[in-house]
Amino acid sequence: MSTSTIEQLVNQPYKHGFVTDIESDTAAKGLSEQTIRFISAKKAEPDWLLQFRLKAYQHWLTLTAPEWPNVNYPAIDFQNISYYSAPKQKKTLKSMDEVDPELLKTFEKLGVPMNERAALAGVAVDVIFDSVSVATTYKQKLADVGIIFCSISEAVREHPELVKKYMGSVVPVKDNFYAALNSAVFTDGSFCFIPKGVKCPMELSTYFRINTQDSGQFERTLIIAEERASVSYLEGCTAPKFDTNQLHAAVVELVALDYADIKYSTVQNWYAGDEKGVGGIYNFVTKRGLCKGVHSRISWTQVETGSAITWKYPSCVLRGDHSVGEFYSVALTNHKQQADTGTKMIHIGKNTRSTIVSKGISAGGSNNSYRGLVRIAPTASGARNYSQCDSMLIGQQCSANTFPYIEVRNPTSQVEHEATTSKIGEDQLFYFQQRGIGAEEAVSMIINGFCKDVFQQLPMEFAVEATKLLGLKLEGSVG
Amino acid sequence: MQSQLEAVSIIQALVAGGKGLAPSAAPWLNERRALALERANALRLPSIRDEEWRFTDISMMGRVPFQLPVPHSVIPDISAYVLPEAQWRLVFVDGIFNVGLSSLGAPVKGLSISNLGDAIQNTPQLVVGHLAQHAHYENRLFCAINTAWLRQGAFIHLAKEVIIKDPIHILYINTQAHATVNVRSLVVLERAAQCTVVEDFVGLGEEATFTNAVSEFAVASSARLHHVRVQRETPAALHIAACAVSIEQDGVYQSQSIALGASVSRYELEVLQKGPGVEVVIDGLALIKERQLADTHTLMDHAYGSGQCRQLHKTIVDGRAHAVFNGKVLVREGAQLTQSAQQSRNLLLSSDARVDTKPQLEIFADDVKCAHGATVGQLDQDHLFYLKSRGLSEARARNLLTYAFGAEIVARIPVRSLAAQLERAVMTQAQTTL
Repeated sequence: MSTSTIEQLVNQPYKHGFVTDIESDTAAKGLSEQTIRFISAKKAEPDWLLQFRLKAYQHWLTLTAPEWPNVNYPAIDFQNISYYSAPKQKKTLKSMDEVDPELLKTFEKLGVPMNERAALAGVAVDVIFDSVSVATTYKQKLADVGIIFCSISEAVREHPELVKKYMGSVVPVKDNFYAALNSAVFTDGSFCFIPKGVKCPMELSTYFRINTQDSGQFERTLIIAEERASVSYLEGCTAPKFDTNQLHAAVVELVALDYADIKYSTVQNWYAGDEKGVGGIYNFVTKRGLCKGVHSRISWTQVETGSAITWKYPSCVLRGDHSVGEFYSVALTNHKQQADTGTKMIHIGKNTRSTIVSKGISAGGSNNSYRGLVRIAPTASGARNYSQCDSMLIGQQCSANTFPYIEVRNPTSQVEHEATTSKIGEDQLFYFQQRGIGAEEAVSMIINGFCKDVFQQLPMEFAVEATKLLGLKLEGSVG
Repeated sequence: MQSQLEAVSIIQALVAGGKGLAPSAAPWLNERRALALERANALRLPSIRDEEWRFTDISMMGRVPFQLPVPHSVIPDISAYVLPEAQWRLVFVDGIFNVGLSSLGAPVKGLSISNLGDAIQNTPQLVVGHLAQHAHYENRLFCAINTAWLRQGAFIHLAKEVIIKDPIHILYINTQAHATVNVRSLVVLERAAQCTVVEDFVGLGEEATFTNAVSEFAVASSARLHHVRVQRETPAALHIAACAVSIEQDGVYQSQSIALGASVSRYELEVLQKGPGVEVVIDGLALIKERQLADTHTLMDHAYGSGQCRQLHKTIVDGRAHAVFNGKVLVREGAQLTQSAQQSRNLLLSSDARVDTKPQLEIFADDVKCAHGATVGQLDQDHLFYLKSRGLSEARARNLLTYAFGAEIVARIPVRSLAAQLERAVMTQAQTTL
């Protein structure tokens, strides 16, 4: 098979590119203290939250955008972004029937028939549509076991003590440039609280969607699992096609207390820009989990296929003794996409363990980097880390890089790191073809085999979606 | 802050000293020195705020009253460092070539071994194409200073197809407390030539010295160079070194670098592939204890295809010592069929020892096989148990395992007497941990 066949396989237009026409209540462009007061007033927030935002904003003013990642993009004009945009739907909804039919159609096109999915798959979907939650399903069922699953705005109103206690405790407002920006201007996001001893009876899921041109989206997610609680959370993303770059700077905080277990899965397929690299989302996200209690466990699984630039490091701070951190990632870049992604495992507690499995696939003229940090603090006796990062290159214009930082200060720890890079060989393709399997299918099978270790970690329905997604993304690029 | 300023002042003294050097008779050399001096003036002293120097704190430059060496005529005793296998030996005492201690052997056709200063005067045609042409100083202050100071150093040239079996020994020996020494090696192998070069950095006594070394190795097509580098400076010394290797088509470069001494040492090795089909072996061992810091930065630059590189870097870290490794493998666009494998293995012997390792891959070609691995850990309990079950004491078992870990690198050194000396050093280190 020739290179051109595989290139054809990869070059497929973005299937979710459409704009839903809903009247938006959008703030004027620009960022100032007024903007922040406007957002806060719009959302009728208590004073402590306004102070939280202002503190973050004051600190953000002193920072400059970081330049160390292995990505290139024109400087972002933060004054040319609208920081608030909410669909005009003020009345509270009692059932799905009340949801704007236009909105429902959008989800239909994305393949998320909410009511169907909710009923058949038993998934509660907290739908984020341009920053404000409009519908939450299965809330009652969750409430019965004491789980709180709602938007951050609602949580601020209903459970201020929890939000106040945990927000900013994992990612402080001064953490980094984009986290500070998010803390100042975040509009909405998800909040999830699993009380002591409760195992969440279903997979919790949020469907993010960026709409409205030029509205940077600043989500804030906070998940707390109390002692012996466990939860699996899914995050899936698609975005309509636009030519101007959109900034997305989310913050996700996870807190796991004694024996708690949080599993956070992401499938990200935002608009990546066209073949020439015009347009696409800038995905600059701060995700961090704190294993606060003993024997707690936080597991990140991500499948990153979209965005013009992906720049995120879902991390685990392993503070509790015997706590476990996991990171499973597939990052696929094509055309002019750039990804600088990886994880940080900070071992502080005794006998803490972490596993990192990262698979990078780089095609077209894209640039794919793994950047990771494994730090063993002097207190982390008996800590154990295993890291594996494999790269696959498809084509001669792409690049794959690995930057693993390993910092060890305790001799009783064991740290292992392995990395390899490879390509899809002519002989492998030949082997498939002579067994009657077409080139296209062969490529898809090889890639799925390459990513198997990660896909196995995904919940069932996501695994299916991810497998299909990689196939679609690579249509036309191997040879 | 105070120490930072003083550190700058020794740098200023070095820069001023470079400026004050008597001009050489060769105008091309004066020009290269002037360019480097200009660059040295523009660059600032790296600190731990710079990514490349994040773990390596050289602020001791400000605390120790380093100064330029004073001319003197004391002849040090080098008998402990003489290699019986080597009939050629170039000795530099505090950076100055010492004819009396050197041994230039019987002349061999096609082999030139001399002080670099003499070579610049007598055979400039052999030097001009290489000197200060391989080691880049645009962003490296210490390399720029060294280049601005260019006048003495070791020079080895092998004409085409000349094969020298015996090792050639370059001994840089520091004797003066607080002396700041710029040393330089230039080794040029023409087509299909072969030799083994031992660079030996020795410090006598206990006092702090500051060595700023730059080495350049040019390996022409089908030539083979075996490079052994031993750093055994005084325990208080500061040692900063850069080595640039360029290899043309089908050339072979093999190296073992061993770091034993110095309070703070840094070795930057850059291997540039200048033609297809080269073979490179980079082995490293840092054996450190107490408050020592040993930093190794390597870059394997596969600018052409079909290159093979195998790298193994080991550290044995005891006491409160700190080992740093940053190994970068770069496969440029079009460098197809490259095979590059890198391993970083680190052994921690005490609870305060520290290792920071970063094996790095940057790949821009798709038909390549590259891999790297890193491990950090202590001695394996199963291994210890096995030896103890055979009747060895805990102490002996630990000693033996530590020795075996380091000996893997040392055993690859082709100079028997040097390998034996280093094996003893590894053994001693293993014993002190008990």
